Amino acid sequence: MRIIRGIKLGGLQQKIFNLMLIFIVALVGAFVAVSLYQQAHLSGIVEEASREQQASIEEVSEETMKAVLETGMTRTTALQAYIADDLFGDVRSDVLTLQAFATELFEHAERFPDHPFSPPLQENDGAPSVYVLHEPGVDPHDSELLGLAANMSEILLASFSSSDKLSGCFVGTADGNLLAVSDRSASCLSADGTPLTLDVRSRPWYRQAAEAGALTFTGVEVDSYTGVATLECAAPVYRDGELVAVVGADIFLTAISDYVDNTATEGGFVCVVNEDGKILFSPQKDGTFCAKFSDSAPDLRESENTALAAFITQALAGNTGLKTIAVDGKEYYLIGAPMDTVGWAAISAVDKEITRQPTAAMLANYDEINAESALTYQDGAKHSIQTFIVLTVILVLLALVGALVVAQRIVKPIEHMTRRINSLSGSDSVFEMEQVYRTDDEIEILAESFASLSKKTRDYIQQITEITAEKERIGTELALATRIQADMLPNIFPAFPERVEFDIYASMDPAKEVGGDFYDFFLVDDDHLCMLIADVSGKGVPAALFMMASRIILASNAKQGKSPAAILESTNETICQNNREEMFVTVWLGILEISTGRLTAANAGHEYPVLMQPDGKFELVKDKHGFVIGGMEGIRYKEYELTLTPGSKLFLYTDGVPEATNTEGELFGTERMLAALNEKTSARPEEMLKNMRRAVDGFVKDAEQFDDLTMLGFEFKGTRG
Amino acid sequence: MLTINKTETDSELTVTLAGRLDTTTAPELEKELKTSLDGVTALTIDMTELEYISSAGLRVLLSAQKVMNKQGEMKVTHVGETIMEIFEVTGFSDILTIV
Repeated sequence: MRIIRGIKLGGLQQKIFNLMLIFIVALVGAFVAVSLYQQAHLSGIVEEASREQQASIEEVSEETMKAVLETGMTRTTALQAYIADDLFGDVRSDVLTLQAFATELFEHAERFPDHPFSPPLQENDGAPSVYVLHEPGVDPHDSELLGLAANMSEILLASFSSSDKLSGCFVGTADGNLLAVSDRSASCLSADGTPLTLDVRSRPWYRQAAEAGALTFTGVEVDSYTGVATLECAAPVYRDGELVAVVGADIFLTAISDYVDNTATEGGFVCVVNEDGKILFSPQKDGTFCAKFSDSAPDLRESENTALAAFITQALAGNTGLKTIAVDGKEYYLIGAPMDTVGWAAISAVDKEITRQPTAAMLANYDEINAESALTYQDGAKHSIQTFIVLTVILVLLALVGALVVAQRIVKPIEHMTRRINSLSGSDSVFEMEQVYRTDDEIEILAESFASLSKKTRDYIQQITEITAEKERIGTELALATRIQADMLPNIFPAFPERVEFDIYASMDPAKEVGGDFYDFFLVDDDHLCMLIADVSGKGVPAALFMMASRIILASNAKQGKSPAAILESTNETICQNNREEMFVTVWLGILEISTGRLTAANAGHEYPVLMQPDGKFELVKDKHGFVIGGMEGIRYKEYELTLTPGSKLFLYTDGVPEATNTEGELFGTERMLAALNEKTSARPEEMLKNMRRAVDGFVKDAEQFDDLTMLGFEFKGTRG
Repeated sequence: MLTINKTETDSELTVTLAGRLDTTTAPELEKELKTSLDGVTALTIDMTELEYISSAGLRVLLSAQKVMNKQGEMKVTHVGETIMEIFEVTGFSDILTIV
């Protein structure tokens, strides 16, 4: 770990710091994601709401506008229709008055003298004047009707003057003359000042009135003289059921067309349709609603625009109510009202686009407000994002500093602990709890565990030290015991340097520090040498202790001059008296009468001795065996005698020799033992034992010495020696 | 290594030994017998597969013989040549009932 400014890179502190950093970054990321999502979502909602509101505004304002229009337009159209109709009504009443007068005149012709009349005069032009026109070939002065009709000159003048709606009024007689009043007398004159003729009875007003037999309005026609569109109202006059005249009036069409033109406001206008479905008056200069005075003008009732056709038909019959009809690619609100007098209809039209203008304005205004709101919102959002960024940075910094501090707090006791542990040395120092570890968390538990472990370790070390000391003491004692045991046995050779009759050598190699095998030899008296070899059951200290006791008891018994069997029996009794551990010892004991070479021996369960007679070979002496010493009370042992001649050699051993085992588990065995001895029969006791030892070692090789290995070699030299 | 197998029927106990009965393994047999001999009147020790017996093993046999002398009888069966030799050498053949 590298250390920079007190922070260990890769240390716990940095890991906590990293963890915190990741956590904060993740948190901020999540927050930003949620914010962005919400903002997007909010924008979507606002947009959607705005759209819905716009649609709603549009719908509501359209509905409202339509309702307002309907009320307003219905009323207006009805009024207009009424006003327009009123015009015709006035004319109608004028004409009816004229008809009534004329009828009276003709029915009571006897009461009225002929009235003078004159042709139109140039000088009368510009002022109302009465004049007469006639059909070609007709002489007004021949007329019997005209003179009578001329009596109407005053009433015609009066009618004309009293109405600003009339451009003229007249009486056409059945014989082709016309008495007329107008202020345009000059228009009835030809260029040379002669009056123009007029086909009176061919005129539509005459024909229609004659045909209808009642008051009638002509269609709009082009004036025969002025070329101006005119409309006439005419009524027939009968005398005794015979048509004598037709009275009529020219309607001042400019009045109605001016009126209609005046209705042409921006986007709205009024037009008049006659009973044939033709537009008579309209401010429109082109398109469907344009007024055309020709016969070829389309009948709108037959229009391909079925909605319009139906509307016109309905309008001529009665009030229509507000309709929305597309005409010439534009949508119009249309309302029609009939003009009963003439059988026409007044149509009020409003361009729907115009009605939309307030809505559009409102929407525009709404959009503007929306845009402003959006701008304000964006500003606000921008501001809050800035605030958010600043706050986030501050928060992150605070959190990181906090993380460092917290990490430092966590790490500090651990570092302290590490220092303490590192400074521990020797068995005396121990890790102890300190206030810095009291963190109420795992560190405290760790520290307590350390303290506990440290104490246990110290105790354990002390224990080990004690055990080691104890072991060393025991080792020392055992080493001492080994020496004592070894020193207990005669181990200085030659053992009897002054005795030339025999040579003796013995060795004891315990498997452990101390063993249960032993040998012994001593002179009972000058002529008797006692030799023995023994093997205590088991090994180690118990065997050694038992061996020591056995040796002393055997020796003391032997030194009393007892026979070998007596020695063994006595020893057995002594040992059996107090042998709770049920240990036993095998013993071979022989007493040699040095002067004669007579060997008396007894065997308490020990291995067969090996004897070599001079010039012979080493052979096992299969002697009589008694039971082991210490095994059972009251055992009797048998003695046997061997006679040693000078040169005889005796080899005594414990089971460690034949039972030495190699790594394959093979026993050394008595065969190999005898072979080893016979390899050099001339060997002196010391050499004999060393050869045997070498043979055993060569056999077992690396295998551990399992049993005590004890041997005794004896050579009888006889008195000669 | 010593393997000890016990077969018990009523008061008759047969202990079959296999391997080596020496200083190391003798305590095992001693412990086994100590806990098993209560109420046993006929103890048979089968030595068919016993390869070796040391003085420590002999001591355990002797202890068992002494216990059985008081409460019944003990037989040693299928004694091999090597073991027999040891019994003879140590005089154990005189005190054990070898069948």
